[in-house]
Amino acid sequence: MGGLQKKKYESGSATNYISRNKARKKLSLSLADFRRLCILKGIYPHEPKHKKKVNKGSTAPRTFYLLKDIRFLLHEPIVGKFREYKIFVRKLRKAYGKAEWSGVQRMKENKPAYKLDHIIKERYPTFIDAVRDVDDALSMCFLFSTFARTGKCHVQTIQLCRRLGVEWMNYIIASRSLRKVFLSIKGIYYQAEVLGQTITWIIPYQFAHDHPTDVDYRVMATFTELYTTLLGFVNFRLYQTLNLVYPPKLDGQGEFSLKSECEEDYALESESYSEKLAALSASLARTVPSVEDEEAELDHFPAEGEDLEKMETREKMELEQNKQKKLFEGLKFFLNREVPRESLAFVIRCFGGEVSWDKSLCIGSTYDETDETITHHIVDRPTIDKQYINRYYIQPQWVYDCVNGKILLPVEEYFLGVTLPPHLSPFVEESEGDYVPPEKLKLLALQKGEKPQAEEDEEEEEEEDDEDDEEEDDQSEDEDEAEDEASLAEMEEKRAQGKSLSVKVTPGKVKPENRMRTEQEEKAEEKRLAIMMMKKREKYLYDKIMFGKKRHVREANKLAAKRKAHDDANKPDKKKKKKKC
Amino acid sequence: MAAVRKHKRVAAAQPGFLPIKSSLDGNSSVIKRRKRVNKNKKKSWNRFSDIQDVEEFLDDVRLQERATGGLIAEKTDDTLFFVDTGETDEKDTQEQTTVKKGKHSKPLRIDLILQPDSHIQAPKNVLAFQQPNAKKQRRISERAAKLAAMGVLPRREKLLQLRSAAAASGLSVKEHPVANNNPDRAFYDLWSAGTPETADPYYLEQTKKKLVKRPDRLNEKPSVLPAVEVIAPGGSYNPDFFSHQDLLREAHEVELKKQKAEEKLARQLAVNEDKATEESTFKEQVEGLIEEEEIEPQEPEGDTEDTVMGPTATQEKKTEKQRKKEKAQRIKDLQRKVERQVIDKQQQLFQLRSISASVKKQEQRTEMRQAQRKVQQEAQKSMPRRLGRLKFQTPDLDVQLSDELASSLRSLKPEGSILKDRFKSLQKRNIIEPRERARFNRKYKLKYSEKRAFREIE
Repeated sequence: MGGLQKKKYESGSATNYISRNKARKKLSLSLADFRRLCILKGIYPHEPKHKKKVNKGSTAPRTFYLLKDIRFLLHEPIVGKFREYKIFVRKLRKAYGKAEWSGVQRMKENKPAYKLDHIIKERYPTFIDAVRDVDDALSMCFLFSTFARTGKCHVQTIQLCRRLGVEWMNYIIASRSLRKVFLSIKGIYYQAEVLGQTITWIIPYQFAHDHPTDVDYRVMATFTELYTTLLGFVNFRLYQTLNLVYPPKLDGQGEFSLKSECEEDYALESESYSEKLAALSASLARTVPSVEDEEAELDHFPAEGEDLEKMETREKMELEQNKQKKLFEGLKFFLNREVPRESLAFVIRCFGGEVSWDKSLCIGSTYDETDETITHHIVDRPTIDKQYINRYYIQPQWVYDCVNGKILLPVEEYFLGVTLPPHLSPFVEESEGDYVPPEKLKLLALQKGEKPQAEEDEEEEEEEDDEDDEEEDDQSEDEDEAEDEASLAEMEEKRAQGKSLSVKVTPGKVKPENRMRTEQEEKAEEKRLAIMMMKKREKYLYDKIMFGKKRHVREANKLAAKRKAHDDANKPDKKKKKKKC
Repeated sequence: MAAVRKHKRVAAAQPGFLPIKSSLDGNSSVIKRRKRVNKNKKKSWNRFSDIQDVEEFLDDVRLQERATGGLIAEKTDDTLFFVDTGETDEKDTQEQTTVKKGKHSKPLRIDLILQPDSHIQAPKNVLAFQQPNAKKQRRISERAAKLAAMGVLPRREKLLQLRSAAAASGLSVKEHPVANNNPDRAFYDLWSAGTPETADPYYLEQTKKKLVKRPDRLNEKPSVLPAVEVIAPGGSYNPDFFSHQDLLREAHEVELKKQKAEEKLARQLAVNEDKATEESTFKEQVEGLIEEEEIEPQEPEGDTEDTVMGPTATQEKKTEKQRKKEKAQRIKDLQRKVERQVIDKQQQLFQLRSISASVKKQEQRTEMRQAQRKVQQEAQKSMPRRLGRLKFQTPDLDVQLSDELASSLRSLKPEGSILKDRFKSLQKRNIIEPRERARFNRKYKLKYSEKRAFREIE
């Protein structure tokens, strides 16, 4: 009994939160400055659990911040800079009004500026933290670098974004860490693995600009300010890890080969070097001369049981990756002028290929179209007049599909004027029992090793006379289809059996197979017994899960059948088309 | 005045003085009779003393000084005269000089006009030479001399030396901070282990040189969504047929939902109006002409009378007997209740099974609910929160219809805007609150008026 009656809203959640306007007043900043500060410092608004309590009984929707966050903001030195800037603007305006031009000049020279270095350090205490968070920064930088210099944002910002983007791409090329590319209707998605972190970013297509009106450009510019700083520091460190010179320099050989007489046609003297860097066709200079064939061998530790298995899978992965890194090595590409140059150059160089383009298209071309050693000529038009006999004329999608498939795909399906196979998303990972498009199945089969025969066949075909080419093509297509169907049937069978997909069966050896089979049988038996021993409730759940899985498989099968029917219906048309061609 | 007059006298008394104006000479001939007046008051003095001659004289002196730079009487002969030796020489020298100077060196006439033509030097600024507080100055200089003798340099000198040393070593004197968006800005290794702070931590804290540690809570991301969400496989520029159909279906469903909501709103907002048809207008026209046998709806007539009926119960006082009776009843009830409780408790012993069953059931239910709540919380982590006045609006799905799909990469028309995509992604990840563009509201109405010139033309 007794004691003072507690007043409402004087403790608890009401005092833990602060509304945006109050926070703004506490910091004595304008709303725009407050917003900028929050973005730079990474302070986000918070939705309270009990809004009515926090809002002192009112239910009006408001933006709340945690009071502790705002208290933390009070210590930020940049707040002072914002206030200084406000005063600077006021003084400048006054000087303009009084037409004191010398004063204006002096003030402009002493314009207050702030640095974000300490904020970056504070938000990303370690380098890996920063790398983990670089996705956003990349997407934003690449986006801003494609903006027209029309006053939507500072020209300087655009230039800086461009520089950082080029630096990043050059790093990815030097480290060969690109993994996936996806051409979508929005833009091009890239995925790379940098220092063990998977990083995804999107680059818009060139010349695709409409400025949406419902986007707050000021907010985006603030984000870009932060992200450019972050990306700059990350780039510096990344270049250091590869012993590359920062700011990037072309290595002596590259610089020599890029030297052309008509440089002035492309860029000003001051910009020509950065343009050459942006061309992505030459490699970068290193602080320590690189040893090319020095590949870090995985350390071998004696391991047992599960660890051993893991080790094996990891080794396998490593091997696969190394193979993928050298995908285009030894190939020489030439880009026709209608293909997206930057993207293709980036991708090809990432996998060790050599690339060039017409001298009049862009700075930095390394060899001419007439070069006899060119192996692939990338064209995106229905026909081409003058064709060289010793190179493939292919459509750009081939490059991207090869990267995603991690193998060199047969070129026949990507020839000029041929209807392309669909460009599948590499970001989809089908779980067991999902519907897998037949194109992907084919790709998987190719990856597993059915490829060598097929490829050899194709190469032989290529070597044969042109007259036979059409027939052979048809034949090979038929073969492919037969193969395709066979693999499809196989997969379906497997699916119907249940989840035995993950078990590998090595052909050719009798004994291990038997052992495997017995093992398998044992496992199945065990499972059956376990099912029998289940409690009623668990059994019910189990049945439910199994039913769901089966339904999933059934649906996938249905889709596959549908696709087959669709293909069958389309086949005659295709053939006709082919014959016409 | 007296001084002036004296001056005149002195000047006039000098043997070589030549007045320029002749009027001064004839001054003596016109002598009026002096009128006697008192000049003991300042006013009368000013009035009656004649100072014109003095002024004229002084003007003359000034003119001479201005024109020649001194009194002509004091000049030597060679400054006033020269020996005429012939015209040709002079011309030659003049020509030479003109040729030398050329066209450009000739000053503009306007400048010539504006140039001072007086020979008198401009007076010096007296204040510039004055020492206002000589004593203080002296002391300061003495102190400086003392300090210099001791080898202590003044601050200004020290700074100057520092600056010159910095300039000599190639460093910039004053570092202007580089703007954050300067395309040529330099970067360095931010995460390398720099030199550890050697200063006293207390000192750093007090002078606000030490940054406050960022709470770990702030390094958590407000959402578990990835920064870059990759579009569904149907969004490929050359998609697989089925995945494209999937994406289309998804977009279709979203659109359907939107449409339904719109329709519902329209339905709710619709004004229920009966439009006049031919039939109804005809009916209206013949209303009353045709005798209808209708039972007129009976209006409840007694309404007004029934409504106002307040509580009529009047409280009467209870008698003593009634009170006692009520009290006894109350006590009895209470007793019965207590007894009942005791019995119930005893009976519960036999209900143990059912009670334990019910407890179990309850526990199960709470467990289930807990699990459910956990799932919900997990789902919430990837949902956009309500952070402000507006709710997050999911952007339209970017889709190309089957006939819009490009046949090749060259003819691809990109869909949607990445800028908007990024902006929405930030909102979706709870990093910024959704807002709408501030609308411009005019406070006062605009007033239009014709300009006078325009009116005149009409």
